[in-house]
Amino acid sequence: MLRISNLSKSYNRGAVKAVDGLSLHVKPGEIFGFLGPNGAGKTTTIKMIVGLLNPDEGSIIVNGYDNQKNPIEAKKSIGYVPDNPVVYDNLTGMEYLNFMADIYQVPVTLRKERINYFLEMFDLTDAAGDLIKSYSHGMKQKIALAGALLHNPALWIMDEPMVGLDPKSSHLLKELMRQHCQKGNTVFFSTHILEVAERLCDRIGIIHRGKLIAVGTLDELRRGEQSETLENIFLELTEQ
Amino acid sequence: MKQFISLLITSLNVNFGISALRYRFTKEKKHLWEPILIGLSIILGGGSIIALYTVFLQGVYKGGQMLNSPELVLLIAILACQFMVFIFGIFYVISAFYFSNDIDLLVPLPLKPYHILASKFIIIMVNEYLVAWPVLLPAIIIYGTGMRPGLMYWLKSLLVLLLTPVIPLVLVSIFVLILMRVVSIRKNRDVLVVLGSLLGLLLGLTINYFAQKLPEGNSQQFIQDMIVARADVIKLIGQRVPPSTWATYGLAMQTLEGWMYFILYLLISLTLFGLLMWLGNLFFYKGLLAGQEVNRGRKKLSAQSINAQLEKASSPVIALFLKEWKLFLRTPVYAMNGLAGMIMVPFLILMPFIARAEEMKALLTQIRQPQFAMQVTLGSAGLVLFASSINIVACTSISREGKTFWISKMIPVPARQQVTAKLLHSMAISGIGVVVTTAVIGIALKLSIIRMFTIFILCLLGNVLLNALNLLIDLLHPRLEWDNPQEAVKQNLNGLFSILFTLAVLALSAILTALLVQLRASEWIIHAALGLTMGFLAIPTLAILYTLAESQYRRLEA
Ligand SMILES: Nc1ncnc2c1ncn2[C@@H]1O[C@H](COP(=O)(O)OP(=O)(O)OP(=O)(O)O)[C@@H](O)[C@H]1O
Ligand SMILES: [Mg+2]
Repeated sequence: MLRISNLSKSYNRGAVKAVDGLSLHVKPGEIFGFLGPNGAGKTTTIKMIVGLLNPDEGSIIVNGYDNQKNPIEAKKSIGYVPDNPVVYDNLTGMEYLNFMADIYQVPVTLRKERINYFLEMFDLTDAAGDLIKSYSHGMKQKIALAGALLHNPALWIMDEPMVGLDPKSSHLLKELMRQHCQKGNTVFFSTHILEVAERLCDRIGIIHRGKLIAVGTLDELRRGEQSETLENIFLELTEQ
Repeated sequence: MKQFISLLITSLNVNFGISALRYRFTKEKKHLWEPILIGLSIILGGGSIIALYTVFLQGVYKGGQMLNSPELVLLIAILACQFMVFIFGIFYVISAFYFSNDIDLLVPLPLKPYHILASKFIIIMVNEYLVAWPVLLPAIIIYGTGMRPGLMYWLKSLLVLLLTPVIPLVLVSIFVLILMRVVSIRKNRDVLVVLGSLLGLLLGLTINYFAQKLPEGNSQQFIQDMIVARADVIKLIGQRVPPSTWATYGLAMQTLEGWMYFILYLLISLTLFGLLMWLGNLFFYKGLLAGQEVNRGRKKLSAQSINAQLEKASSPVIALFLKEWKLFLRTPVYAMNGLAGMIMVPFLILMPFIARAEEMKALLTQIRQPQFAMQVTLGSAGLVLFASSINIVACTSISREGKTFWISKMIPVPARQQVTAKLLHSMAISGIGVVVTTAVIGIALKLSIIRMFTIFILCLLGNVLLNALNLLIDLLHPRLEWDNPQEAVKQNLNGLFSILFTLAVLALSAILTALLVQLRASEWIIHAALGLTMGFLAIPTLAILYTLAESQYRRLEA
């Protein structure tokens, strides 16, 4: 579903190497958690997957499409929610969702069903007619989440999606992630909340200073020591 | 005071992006040739306009000398400067006082309202200097080198350079403070702000117009009288705008009387500034805090109305076009800037007819005579093209996306389609401008339908060319990093390029027309030649735009 090979990216003309020779394979139907300390290169990697940043080296295949050679097809397979979703302040929530549905060419019957479903689920029905600039931080995040899911993307990518959500919303989000995978789609998200990663993810990757230092199921990461928590593993691996 | 100084320094730093610039060149190591190229084109473009203006001022100076009032040149420049400061000021002030994001950061700090107000005011002043100095300096130099009034003149002119924006800006600021206080209670605040400020602009122009109106009567006679009687032109013109007269006399007269005028000017400027600070302490926060509220929960959508809104699917291009359109109209700074030209130009044309109906009648009968038909048509076309193309829609259409640019990068819509939506949007706004101004001019000058149609077609073609050029410049050099929408449009160099493009197209058309007239081409051949030229220039521009779209969108990272 997502195959990253030898991906590198540096900022400021090589002064800061943010991602360094990263290779990764995420399978269909999988929830993949992307962990790493602050500044490790998670956001940079995600932005390259969705096409916001251009890699210096390496390739990214999404749903069979190379996102450099065939960006439009790759983008059609992706639903993306950034860490701080700044959406069009001067549209209403409804107009934004309808805009996204138009952009991803979601048929009318389907969009009605899905928009109503998400508005109801995230408790946004009452606010849907108001301008997004009147929304709270969490409401903005939820409208962006809904906007990313309208076309039922094969690959759903989120950057620290739980930050700023209330307990109920983040519970709903986790449910949504499970459901999305059960439909055969893939979820890829970065997080700092290790308990979420532990309980939710089929596989976990840990990135440190731009390099992938560990990847696998929780059991594989434990290397047989059943008592190890993810927290301990994380701290040990990212020690130096 | 210390607090205020550091607030001011920080604001200046942010406004001119000094730290950001330093970061760009030391850390990011961006290409140095870029700013150099931009600087060169500004100097060339701005320089040629200033050169033309200086030639004009020299004429004024000579004329003034003949009338025994060489200081006329100073008066004209000071009036023009205050006028421009006023027009630019309305936009600056509204967006800086009420629509800037740093307000959220500043209000919780232990600062007095007038601290914030004063720092914002000074920032705007500094921005206005960029407009004011090119207008004032040539006149000061012409007078100073011509009359050799001595050292004190030069020292005083320094003060005048610093202070000239104060009076018009204070007046604008007070207007805005009151406007926001009144508007903040109502619904549809943003719309009211746009309308209110446009109204203020028109009001200001009207007052200015009437204030500078020469005495009624035959103007030929008037000028003769003046030469014969050595009447004081300065007093006549300046009568109704006293501060500019005081500044002029204060500069020009090196006597005690001159000093009195000068001190009067300084005092009035400072008093008005004090008044603004006092009003600011009373009103500023109230309007501001009310302004933070966005209308919410006004209309809850029922399930039916939700479904009704979702009934229609559009193609991506149409969806993008509608989005552009809504964001443009709903962001006051964009709407004001985009619509100001097409409202102001017709207004400035109509004004004389209302204000001086009698004299205009004579002029009109002259103009309407058939032998002037071609000149009138082409002149009108020039005006219409100017009015409809000085909106900042196309040249900031990518810049305006700012922090939402990630959406454009993420969506599976080819860059060409996105550019098409932007081109359609800017053509729609320009098109409205063309229709409105053509109608106003056509009716005022009683042009025939066929001539109005000619103007319409010529200007539409001209706008295709100009909008393609403007989009291209924004595509190559967008300003995506901004916090406040006003930075996207007002502090954007592309706006300057856009005006230069318009002037270049007008100049080209004028040269072409002059050539064809020399060759004794008939009127309709001239129209056709102009239309074809615009069309033929538009084709390669569009081709370049569409060729570069894909790679540029890819190059811009979000
Ligand atoms: N726009 C930028 N310009 C320069 N350097 C950048 C930029 N964005 C990120 N970096 C650098 O790239 C490195 C990786 O940053 P990135 O944002 O990918 O980290 P992250 O893993 O998402 O961190 P966090 O957990 O804090 O979100 C950091 O060293 C950061 O300083
Ligand atoms: Mg991050």
